[in-house]
Amino acid sequence: MRSPDAPSLEGIAQLCLQAGHTLLESGANGRTVSQSIESLAYGLGCTSVETYCQHSAIIVMLQRGAESFTHMGKVGEHGVNLRGGEVVLKVVDQIARGTIHYADAQAQIKAATDAIHKYPLWLVCLATGLACGAFGRLLGLDWASFVPVCLGAGLGQWLRVTMLRRAINFYLVVTNVSFTAAMIAGGGVGLIGGSSLELATISATLLLIPGPAMLNCQVDALDGKPNLAVARAFRVAQIILFLTLGLIAAQRLLGA
Amino acid sequence: MDLAHFIHQALFGGVAAAGFGILFNCPRRMIILCFAAGALALATRTIGTDAVDLSLPEASFIAALVVAIVDRAWWQHGHAFQGSVLAVVGCIPLVPGSLAARGVEELFAITRESASKELTSASTILEILALAAITLASIGTALAIPMLISPPKRKKS
Repeated sequence: MRSPDAPSLEGIAQLCLQAGHTLLESGANGRTVSQSIESLAYGLGCTSVETYCQHSAIIVMLQRGAESFTHMGKVGEHGVNLRGGEVVLKVVDQIARGTIHYADAQAQIKAATDAIHKYPLWLVCLATGLACGAFGRLLGLDWASFVPVCLGAGLGQWLRVTMLRRAINFYLVVTNVSFTAAMIAGGGVGLIGGSSLELATISATLLLIPGPAMLNCQVDALDGKPNLAVARAFRVAQIILFLTLGLIAAQRLLGA
Repeated sequence: MDLAHFIHQALFGGVAAAGFGILFNCPRRMIILCFAAGALALATRTIGTDAVDLSLPEASFIAALVVAIVDRAWWQHGHAFQGSVLAVVGCIPLVPGSLAARGVEELFAITRESASKELTSASTILEILALAAITLASIGTALAIPMLISPPKRKKS
């Protein structure tokens, strides 16, 4: 029989799901999500934990003595937010070590997910622009085309954030951002007289390539989570398809 | 191997990784580590392709494995809280995103080709997409290897 201070299994399951969906939406792989949920549940006194981590839902089955509880929670849009994931993992670690209690963990995860610190938008746009310019250089972009690519990718990132804040369909955002970034980069290269028009348009759209999802896909497959891996692969393929539509439209208009 | 090219690749690999680190909302203290991880990844890949004459998937596999091992060692010594983050961000410059986009572009272009050119285009598409897929699988596998060999200990009651 559980002590009166011990949290209910339903409460533990809700905390596990909150931590799990925050991690999955922050770009964690399936193994990290499952292990974090198990650490949380064992740390809070469960005797048996089973986790089923899918692309759009997580199911947890908890047992404590004769009690058992099964709970399912939805997962939102997958993105990458490493700071958000780190906050949740810190709480999981503290619970596993027994340095904080259920109520504190619940408050910390809620506070963390409500107000995760982010970089200012101008800095994110600048960094994205430089990253795509650097990617371009790695692919053989000439120096004259470097600045237009940085500008196109930076403005593309600003457009992506603006459109996502207005809850526009994710795939439409991908096509729009791809088209805009490629047009700005390609137009700039045309004005300056750079020699890598096609490469510039491709480089400026690389901010949309879901790199962590591509890598997590293979990691999840190796970890024995084929459903999650296939769902990730399908989503990656869709993103590349919509990205290419915008890119081709821009290249046709620019004559690349 | 051309030293200037080697430094160029490492430098821009680092810039790309650090830039994507900020885009992925990486903690501020880790941005410099992201730069180092990206530079290490591209330096290793450049040595692989230019000095050892490896193919892109082979060189990418070794580069990702080196970054993943360094990240795992760093994590086990308690310096990094969130293991594998650094390895993933460091390997972002290795991801053949441009190849994948180019492959799909060629796929669309095939609809405009004349019948005589279709076969050549199809083989080009297959080659590009296969290279992108194998490179990606190589990087993902290399990233997972240290974690599969030495998984973190689980705490059970």
